Amino acid sequence: MSAVREIEYRDALREAMSEEMRRDKRVFLLGEEVAEYNGAYKISRGMLEEFGARRVIDTPISESGFAGLAIGAAMMGLKPVVEFMSWSFSLVAADPILNNAPKMLYMSGGQFGCPVVFRGNDGAGGQLGSTHSWCVEGLFSNVPGIKIAIPSNPYDAKGLLKTAIRGSDPVFFLESERMLGNKGEVPEEEYLIPFGQAKVIRSGTDCTLASWGRPVHFCMEAAEEMQKLGISCEVIDLRTVRPLDIGTVVRSVKKTGACVVVDQSWSFGSPGSELASQVHRHCFDDLDNYVHRVHSADVPTPYATNLEQEYLPNARKIAEAVRSATYNL
Amino acid sequence: MTSLSHPTAGGTSAPASPHSVVHTKVYGDSEHLQVPAAAAHVSSEQMLDWFKQMLLIREFELRCMQAYQEKKIGGFCHVYIGQEAVAVGCTAAVQHKDPIVTAYRDHGHALARGMDPKHCMAEMFGRIGGCAKGKGGSMHMFDRDNNLYGGHGIVGAQTPLGAGLAFGCKYMDEVIDGKPNSRVSLCFLGDGALNQGAFHEAMNLAGLFDIPVIYVVENNGYSMGTAIARGTTMAHSLITKAAGYGIDGYVVDGMDVVGVYADMKHIADKCRATSRPAFVDMRTYRYKGHSMSDPRKYRTKEEEEVFEMHDPIGRLEARLKTAGLLTDDSLKAMQKAVRDTVRDAITWSDESPIPPMAELYHDVFVEPWGPYTGSSQPAMNGGTANQPSMRTIDTKEELS
Amino acid sequence: MPINVTMPRLSDTMEQGTVVKWYVKVGDKVASGQVIADIETDKATMEQAVFDEGIIAKLVCPEGKQVKVGDVIAVLAEDGESVSDAASASSAAPAPRGAVSAAPASNAAAAPNAATASSTAPVATRTIVADVHATDVTDGDRMRVSPLARRMASEMGVELSQVQGSGPGGRVVKRDVLLAAENRSAAVPATRGAQIAANELVAATPSMMPAAAASAGALVHGGQSIEVPVSNMRGIIAKRLVESKQQIPHYQVTMKFSMDAVLALRGSLNEQLASMEVKLSVNDFIVRACALAMAKNPFFNASWAGDRILLHQQVNVGVAIALPEEKGGGLVVGVVKDANLKSLRQISGEIRSLGEKARTKGLSMDEMSGATFTISNLGMFGVDNFTAIINPPNSAILACGAALEQPVVRNHQLVVGFEMAATLSLDHRVIDGAMASKYLQSLKQFVEGPTMLLV
Repeated sequence: MSAVREIEYRDALREAMSEEMRRDKRVFLLGEEVAEYNGAYKISRGMLEEFGARRVIDTPISESGFAGLAIGAAMMGLKPVVEFMSWSFSLVAADPILNNAPKMLYMSGGQFGCPVVFRGNDGAGGQLGSTHSWCVEGLFSNVPGIKIAIPSNPYDAKGLLKTAIRGSDPVFFLESERMLGNKGEVPEEEYLIPFGQAKVIRSGTDCTLASWGRPVHFCMEAAEEMQKLGISCEVIDLRTVRPLDIGTVVRSVKKTGACVVVDQSWSFGSPGSELASQVHRHCFDDLDNYVHRVHSADVPTPYATNLEQEYLPNARKIAEAVRSATYNL
Repeated sequence: MTSLSHPTAGGTSAPASPHSVVHTKVYGDSEHLQVPAAAAHVSSEQMLDWFKQMLLIREFELRCMQAYQEKKIGGFCHVYIGQEAVAVGCTAAVQHKDPIVTAYRDHGHALARGMDPKHCMAEMFGRIGGCAKGKGGSMHMFDRDNNLYGGHGIVGAQTPLGAGLAFGCKYMDEVIDGKPNSRVSLCFLGDGALNQGAFHEAMNLAGLFDIPVIYVVENNGYSMGTAIARGTTMAHSLITKAAGYGIDGYVVDGMDVVGVYADMKHIADKCRATSRPAFVDMRTYRYKGHSMSDPRKYRTKEEEEVFEMHDPIGRLEARLKTAGLLTDDSLKAMQKAVRDTVRDAITWSDESPIPPMAELYHDVFVEPWGPYTGSSQPAMNGGTANQPSMRTIDTKEELS
Repeated sequence: MPINVTMPRLSDTMEQGTVVKWYVKVGDKVASGQVIADIETDKATMEQAVFDEGIIAKLVCPEGKQVKVGDVIAVLAEDGESVSDAASASSAAPAPRGAVSAAPASNAAAAPNAATASSTAPVATRTIVADVHATDVTDGDRMRVSPLARRMASEMGVELSQVQGSGPGGRVVKRDVLLAAENRSAAVPATRGAQIAANELVAATPSMMPAAAASAGALVHGGQSIEVPVSNMRGIIAKRLVESKQQIPHYQVTMKFSMDAVLALRGSLNEQLASMEVKLSVNDFIVRACALAMAKNPFFNASWAGDRILLHQQVNVGVAIALPEEKGGGLVVGVVKDANLKSLRQISGEIRSLGEKARTKGLSMDEMSGATFTISNLGMFGVDNFTAIINPPNSAILACGAALEQPVVRNHQLVVGFEMAATLSLDHRVIDGAMASKYLQSLKQFVEGPTMLLV
């Protein structure tokens, strides 16, 4: 095989959906503007032409209605993929996605599962203001019964989305508007990436950086900076927060003795606080300092560019946390 | 006690006897819906069968109340007494393959759909023999074999699900199998759910997407303790709401099982043929409180008595006796048989074991991971409820 | 039969209720569904109807009196029954009809399955050995040390009080310990040697003990004894086992098992699993067999609790692990939780990691807690047969000898086969001899038909 081709994050998502729809007629896509408009973010571009209006379905702006509809269809045995234009809009569908999808199998004593994938943009897009900039993993990772994937690059986006669609359980798939145009190597051949397998994307010996989604890139920047100071960082992309691959993080922290968790959601009761707590538990005697955390500031997302930049996790904040964690401040 | 009004009528409209309701239809073709029972070909066997089903539901619910008071049933418990004709008539009017989904007052629907009373009772007792292995409880009756997609505890939550079930049926028939749609779905809701956003979104989607779902509003006049006119606009004519979504609306007397069957058969046949939704204002009444702790101070004794005079079981009993299909002796035998069935269900449930602790982490995910051990069907579906599949531990969790 | 009418539970939170008003008096005929009283609950006052028809024989609860949910408040005489008979019969037999229970507290106990009765009883969590690696307390002066630095200092023999901390608030961190170790080895190598010798003294075993360490006040025997200090663990073992042997009426039952099938199965499985680095031991099979046999014999998963027996809901098999002499010897019990729900491979992996951890770092409290049955296996040391002392609060312990190749009779033929003797020690307060035999029969079925252990 010659050089691996590079495609955008949004193309990787489309390829995953299209391949799975060709493979399985039970799979269909529905959401706002997914069909005739070709997707608000052009993720589903061309899918209406290929699959027709019965399988690529424009819905009205009615999240509670179409999320619930998808769950009913999944109980019947179909495999819906629901696009939320933004996960911020999923909050009006909280009852179906949190009370129905994750609990149906349990409450029916194993009779009705919910193989449905909810996907869409998560996190600050860029001056969208507070209502449109939710990082819902902070809220939703608290709920048992759902799996949550937050891919940071096109390769993972495709492999994880195919796994999500092919699985039998409800999945929340969190993408980022800011990464849709990012390019990355994605092979032509089919592949799937299992959930719950973190990836060490940079090895190091002095401090472990653990993150998922867009902040993974900031971690890589910070690691580069730290290298100049002689601090060697190991960067881990968790890829899914439920299941959480704590084993890979623990192995790394046992080696480095220091850990910084980077999570774009708010700090209080977040996947980041959960990961830090688990690291403290499993690595208690291996830590040279407490686990440091970098989150979005504990305020509503501001609009002004400078404030929004300061609000989000960034390479500077991560670098500071690494220096503090390794006693190099 | 003179001029009594159905709570539906509220304070503003003219008082009306609850059973002077007419079968009306305000949207779609202008034909006045009035389907005589004879036209719907109701046999004497069918009527006797419905009578027995209604007796069973009433006895079952009575004994539920008793079991609740004896602390065998926990949590919340909402009984169906008074509304039996709705579940029995509606279920008879559709086919077994047609999905049904309902709200939390769901024991009647489960029994009418064919769930064995012992699995229904054991569920409320929190035993492994329950339809959901004791994990769902009174408000969450599910039965895969009988196409019952749940009791749902959150008011209105089942309405988008009902649209989804019907959407799923139609998609499977038309998109996957390439043949015409063959199923309609029944989605029951209480009148309280009319004020939930989810209901309106579901109606809009059903109308927009031509989804063959029938929303049956079991209009018993009260959402918990609030009379319908105090919480819902146009309470005297709920079908106007359906008109707003381009959906055919009907008013049906829910206290007459033969009428419920005849009207619902007509509606269901039409929905199946046209692959369109429908909305039914099913006028009924619950004799008991909203839940077990409701003293019913918001309504008068006289009102309750009026409805009890029009009891669906009493009405059918009179009809059967007039037609010579029922005698005092055969009635007694029927009542005894029903009592025995329910008593057996209680004994069976008492003896059904409590769920083993391994059930705690079972049925959370289909695919096992971490502490979760996968999923299996309850015993009533031929599953091995007593033996959850082998626990699998993600080796990554095995640390230090 | 008279019918008791009990104080109903009318809300999810109601514990007690008051009869505010009776609508009936003794001798009144009542129909099912008829309101007989107003009952005041914690939420509201509600009308209470009867479920059965009959004649009021007795109003047990006077108006205004608060009684517990489930207490009898009235008695009904059934059709054809005399009111006075019913009234007196009801007081003699408080729960005449199964449907109505008189005492709410007996509700759970009335359930037919024994499992219900013990569902509220916690699984006993004590183990034979308390926390053996409790850290010494040296931080009287609130010295701050990072967990990693503390561990490294202990491993490298660095005296923390001599280290200058460079972290926030003077916290001793990893680099401080490394620096201190470096300085010490450069400057005063002799100090370290002395320190290590002192450390070893505490953990030393008799064979390692220099004769010179014998001191005044030693336990003298013919003037030649050597005094060995008793470690915490040794002290606890001594105390607990004396208690066990004194308080529990022990008896033993032995059975021999043919091990040919298990050994053959183990051989072929290990061959197939070799590439996955799985190596099953005979003991792994025995642990699983014991766990499955316990599920069939619930009294083997039980504890004597003075006035009752607790049947545990979880099957947790403890495995005795001998600690290396150079670490001070002794033994701990590692626990495989939910052993009946785990595959052989999982059990094998867990026992291996428990063993390794016990011998290196020491087990956590959690890893040593909650055993409901214990297995002690000395087969690997060539022991034929032995008896063990019960690990309280267990009711039984299985002592396994080696699978020995010997002449055996199979199908009336003298052939060579592998046999293992296993001896159960039992608490006679919980388990009688016949039950013990039945358990061993179950165990024998699993061990001699080991494919049942795979499914």
